[in-house]
Amino acid sequence: MTGSIPLQYFLVISTLMFFTGIYGFLTRKNLITMLMSIELILNAVNINFVAFNRYLYPQNLQGHFFTLIIIAIAAAEAAVAIAIIINIYRNFRSIDVDNVDEMKF
Amino acid sequence: MNSEVMFYLLAGMILVFSVLTVTSRKILRAAVYLLFVLISTAAIYFMLEYTFLAAVQLTVYAGGIVVLIIFSVLLTSHISEKAIMADRRQSLMSALAVVAGALLTLFTILRFTFTPSAEPAHTSTVTDVGNALISYDRNGFALPFEVISILLLAALIGAIIVARKEKDGIVLMKNKNLSK
Amino acid sequence: MSIYDFMTMRHELILVCLVLLVLIIDLNLKKSQKHRIIPIAISLFFIHTVIGFLPAQTGELFGGMYKTTGLTILMKNILNVGVLIILFQSTTWLKKEENGEKISEFYILLLSTLVGMNFMISSGDFLMLYLGLELATIPMAALAAYTHHQSRSAEAGIKLILSSALSSGILLFGLSLIYGSTGSIYFDTVGALYSNAPMQVLAFIFFFTGMAFKISLVPFHLWTADVYEGSPVNVTSYFSVISKGASAFILIMVMYTVFHSIAYLWKDIVYLVAVLTMTIGNLFALRQKNMKRFLAFSSIAQAGFILLGIIGGNKIGMTATVYFVLVYIFSNLGAFGVISAISAKTGKESMDDYDGLYATNPKLTLLMMLSVFSLAGIPPVAGFFGKFFLFTSAASGGYYWLVFIAVLNATISLYYYLLVVKAMFINKNDTPIAFFKSDIMTRIGLFVCALGIFVIGFWSQVYEFIDKLTFAIIN
Repeated sequence: MTGSIPLQYFLVISTLMFFTGIYGFLTRKNLITMLMSIELILNAVNINFVAFNRYLYPQNLQGHFFTLIIIAIAAAEAAVAIAIIINIYRNFRSIDVDNVDEMKF
Repeated sequence: MNSEVMFYLLAGMILVFSVLTVTSRKILRAAVYLLFVLISTAAIYFMLEYTFLAAVQLTVYAGGIVVLIIFSVLLTSHISEKAIMADRRQSLMSALAVVAGALLTLFTILRFTFTPSAEPAHTSTVTDVGNALISYDRNGFALPFEVISILLLAALIGAIIVARKEKDGIVLMKNKNLSK
Repeated sequence: MSIYDFMTMRHELILVCLVLLVLIIDLNLKKSQKHRIIPIAISLFFIHTVIGFLPAQTGELFGGMYKTTGLTILMKNILNVGVLIILFQSTTWLKKEENGEKISEFYILLLSTLVGMNFMISSGDFLMLYLGLELATIPMAALAAYTHHQSRSAEAGIKLILSSALSSGILLFGLSLIYGSTGSIYFDTVGALYSNAPMQVLAFIFFFTGMAFKISLVPFHLWTADVYEGSPVNVTSYFSVISKGASAFILIMVMYTVFHSIAYLWKDIVYLVAVLTMTIGNLFALRQKNMKRFLAFSSIAQAGFILLGIIGGNKIGMTATVYFVLVYIFSNLGAFGVISAISAKTGKESMDDYDGLYATNPKLTLLMMLSVFSLAGIPPVAGFFGKFFLFTSAASGGYYWLVFIAVLNATISLYYYLLVVKAMFINKNDTPIAFFKSDIMTRIGLFVCALGIFVIGFWSQVYEFIDKLTFAIIN
């Protein structure tokens, strides 16, 4: 189904998406949006693995399974992170990074 | 031809909505943009004929994580609330660093010549996925499959411990149910 | 694959059973009896530790995804002993009223992360490495946020999970490029195919950045101090000792088995990171007033010393690193044990509170002094030999300037470690921490640390034993 699309196009998308995620992580001040940036990063990695698997090494499913495991771990990570965010909201009544700074250097 | 048009459409959607996810000032909208990115990615998996993976992407990512995120947005902030952004100087510095990093990475990746494997392609039907998942030989994934079950159990217990209200002993069920 | 093959992964299997057993026993305890799980869990884990020392089978399972060698068994045993000490030390804190209903969960989460570390140490491919790493961090975040009534604890949890997720993302991007350029995720295949093409170097840099976050090397250390300060003391000690030791170990293994063909390149990177880590860790440690924060920064500096063993790039380096981790576990746990005992009884964690401690609690003071001397590397105790072997390995690799900088840093660290000793012995205090007695298990935990610091230093067989095992790895 991929026709004449070269592998490199997928890599360009995933790289741009990865760095968009990094940018979001660096500039966002809200804990949930930071978590969303991380999901972007992981998604970019997934596209990489899947494209490599399909285009270069289709004889086994290594990239496919790596992606599958990453998705499962991302879900677990998001669950724990959001549990902590809700706990923070109870304590601080806010989930902005600027308010969550009892400790300083 | 059709698949190419489809691809460019999906690629455009992914890039535009990724940028919107990290720049939108309304948190709930950002979450919805993220949902679009994840669905477009699932469509790309369909294009690459990894149907099982695409289904997992839709159910776990789009259906699970985004719903979890939207729930927590609604629990912790008002819908109309504007997200605080980094100040101009910090944004500019981050943007510069990120653009430089992206250019460097793209430049290096595109210069590399990938050599496809000569071995015959393996099909990726659900039967193949299932067989690989319980196989314990090389290229089998029985061990990671078992280990991740421990991880999910531990994450489940961890989420309950953290989100539980202690004073009145009421367990906050939301996280427990959604993290399954 | 027969049923006997599972004996190869004995450590992990028993641990998983332990986790489930604690979970089931907890279900059968009434609310008022929850504390009874403490002796049960500790004795179960004690049995596991003892079984770990019995002779074990080595080999590969799951087509090379899981590997057991003499060295991995030794490393797992070292971690087991460390965790056992932490379990002993944490009893006083766990028995407090506020932890009443979630004692078992502490054990479940702690042991799950240990399962993750064991799988990580034994991993033979990048998938298991990543999975082990995540299993070792996600429940850790829940442990860091364990104390509800303190907002700092939750803050530590979120800082840990967000920074570790970011570092995983960077690590994974590197792994995807490695997979794309070699077509495999197995260490042996990747190692055979790896070359110095620019993209593969870039992939390595992504990988190393991700790992540097996990071991909190400078400049990726910013999250460490806040997480260490906010978490409960025993979780912090687990963090700074066990997690760090396991990650450092697997980093060395991967550097040597997978990336050996670009060793000339990564040695430069590690050189720079080692100098930065030692120096900045020390400079920040100088100005800390909170004991946990102080040890956090000093442990960053200690991680810099571990890099010396990696950079040495020879057999002595590997042996010295494992030996150093062993020594570091006992000395750091000794220091954390004292802080934990005092914090559990009085809630005091500031360095000023330690003024005049010798007058009221001489035994704790002596153990603290011993641990601090060992961390600083003052001759008669074990820490001296740990550092000495690391310096030897770097010097035998020809890195004389690096050794010089390291010695300089060791001298700076001597100064701030002695500040603690000075506070306890010399500083006057009108209201010193009153005399107290911890419960029997905590005292056992503290005693074992003191014993370890002496025994490892004076008993040269330990070093020779590690040396014998590492021979197989490097060649």
